[in-house]
Amino acid sequence: MTASNDTATPAAEERPDWRHRLIPILDRYGILLVILLMCLVLYALQPEVFLTWRNVANVFKQTAVNSLLAIGMFLAILTAGIDLSVGSVLALGMMTLAVANAAGWPWPIVLLLGPVVGLAAGFVNGIGITKLRMPHPFIMTLGMLFMARGLANLISGGVPYTGLPDPVRFLGSAQIYLGDWGAERLNLPVALIVTVTVYLVFGVFLEHTVLGRRIYAIGGNPQAARVSGINVDRVLIVVYSLCGLMAGCAGLIQAGRTNSGFPNAGIGAELEAIAAVIIGGASFFGGRGTVLGVFGGVIVMGLISNGLNLNNVSVFWQQILIGFIIVFAVFLDVVRREVSTRK
Amino acid sequence: MRTSTGLLAVFALGFVAMAGTTASAQSVVVDMKGPGAGNPFWAAVERGAMEKGKELGVEVTVLAPPTESDVAAQIAQIEDQLAKGVKGLVLAPTDPNALAPVVDEAIASKVPVVFVDTKGTNKGVTYIGTDNVAGAALAAKYICDNVPAGSEVALITGIVTQSTGKARADGGRSGLTGCGLKIVAEQTGEWDRAKGLAVMENIITGNPNIKAVFASNDNMALGATEALKSAGLLDKVMVVGFDANPDAAASILAGEMKASVAQNPANMGAIGVDSILKLAKGETLPAVIDTGTVLVTKENAEKFK
Repeated sequence: MTASNDTATPAAEERPDWRHRLIPILDRYGILLVILLMCLVLYALQPEVFLTWRNVANVFKQTAVNSLLAIGMFLAILTAGIDLSVGSVLALGMMTLAVANAAGWPWPIVLLLGPVVGLAAGFVNGIGITKLRMPHPFIMTLGMLFMARGLANLISGGVPYTGLPDPVRFLGSAQIYLGDWGAERLNLPVALIVTVTVYLVFGVFLEHTVLGRRIYAIGGNPQAARVSGINVDRVLIVVYSLCGLMAGCAGLIQAGRTNSGFPNAGIGAELEAIAAVIIGGASFFGGRGTVLGVFGGVIVMGLISNGLNLNNVSVFWQQILIGFIIVFAVFLDVVRREVSTRK
Repeated sequence: MRTSTGLLAVFALGFVAMAGTTASAQSVVVDMKGPGAGNPFWAAVERGAMEKGKELGVEVTVLAPPTESDVAAQIAQIEDQLAKGVKGLVLAPTDPNALAPVVDEAIASKVPVVFVDTKGTNKGVTYIGTDNVAGAALAAKYICDNVPAGSEVALITGIVTQSTGKARADGGRSGLTGCGLKIVAEQTGEWDRAKGLAVMENIITGNPNIKAVFASNDNMALGATEALKSAGLLDKVMVVGFDANPDAAASILAGEMKASVAQNPANMGAIGVDSILKLAKGETLPAVIDTGTVLVTKENAEKFK
């Protein structure tokens, strides 16, 4: 009796330790494993197409807009908030620059208008959430969802504007020719370079700056953050301004990609951004998640769409699958919390 | 570990479910504005395309974004199909301007393209769809034949900054004046039922003697019908619409609206697929192919309900 008890006890203690060491690794890199597995499945289904350079470039072109929206959304979600307005702010940035271009404004100003308008809208969100003491960011950004969409339609009269100069289109549509590989032309989409750069900058910002660490701290425990002397309002204003800025940049990319500003741009895009952040493992309760995870979430969604398109599957399946994965990803988060509090 | 195995199971499930539908690279892709499910118009385009494909022995794949406003999804679908190397693309663009770059990409990849239903902005691409001028002329002729010569009539237009709105207004106007009728009012109802109603109320206040009104779509025509009904003038003023939607067909059968004009969406799908094959053989196509319109009256409205 005594002997078996002695041997059983250390084993029982070892197991949670092993789990505890594995969880952070899975948290951080599990998404890469998922992507790898998805790629294998897709490659098996479409061996001649899936891994062609053209198709891989397509995935990155198609996910560029969601990448930018999702990284902004990630900041808001890190603070246990949300920004429902990013799709409308995208449209506002896009229409503003398209209308300005049609009015004959010089291209450097047209180019900057998208991001600047996005930043302004985000700043207004931040002020509303903090200074107007809105009970939850949901309310302020829901208001902005309608206001920005209405404003976009107002300035454009609800009609599309087409034809942008090449420098304005550069970030969204240009491709850098790298050379030939067999029969394929290797074109690197500039939008991919933009995405990677933005993610690197945000990675450094969140991990290695005081402000970045404060964003995590606020999401983890706003009360504690306040008591420890963090100016929570100021941090939140920065967070929502950056989120708006990213939405404005996404508007610029989308405008470049489509060579136009069109009124229906970005409808429902906020939900795709939220989905990517959640799939990427960020906690909806705030304070937890990584930039790499968000990027992974965006790519997972892009691969689902690409894979189903290549196999001519109805888009309805795409919606069902993404919905399922969101629920599943959050369920994993719940399980993870239970495991880590059990100890 | 649970993360990855669980997710993998989900994907495997999803992809196995659809593996059976995998098409070869030699298919003609029809990308519509919206899914056929829930919209009889797109269902007819799809049916027309599939039947023509079967008849000509060519594989046809019909796609659509989840909603007509999802421009980005349609662009992605086309890019992915181009990567696959398809035989041709029949496209009803959700937004002609925004789709233009990806259509250019298709042309650059030597994939033949035609537009159906909505004309794109790319130069040299054939448009297959309703000749709205001819359709509106058909409606105008019906009015000409059924009211006394020289009567006063009214026109309710759609949004005339759009090509469809302009074409229907032009066709209606020249048809009505061409047979000697007098257009005493021409106003826009912006395609909207409530606005059509309000516009009609104003028209009958100012012009009590009108004998007929042509509205550029059925929604406005149904609104106008409501206005005439509450003013007690429905038996004196004939209402003709455009689209032959189910509500309008029911109204025509009930003897309220008198006529409407139906497009032929099945033809768009069929001629679209046929045209791609012609282009692939190196034939040239006219810039515009009319898919035809039919006048819908009490005699044939049952089919459109």
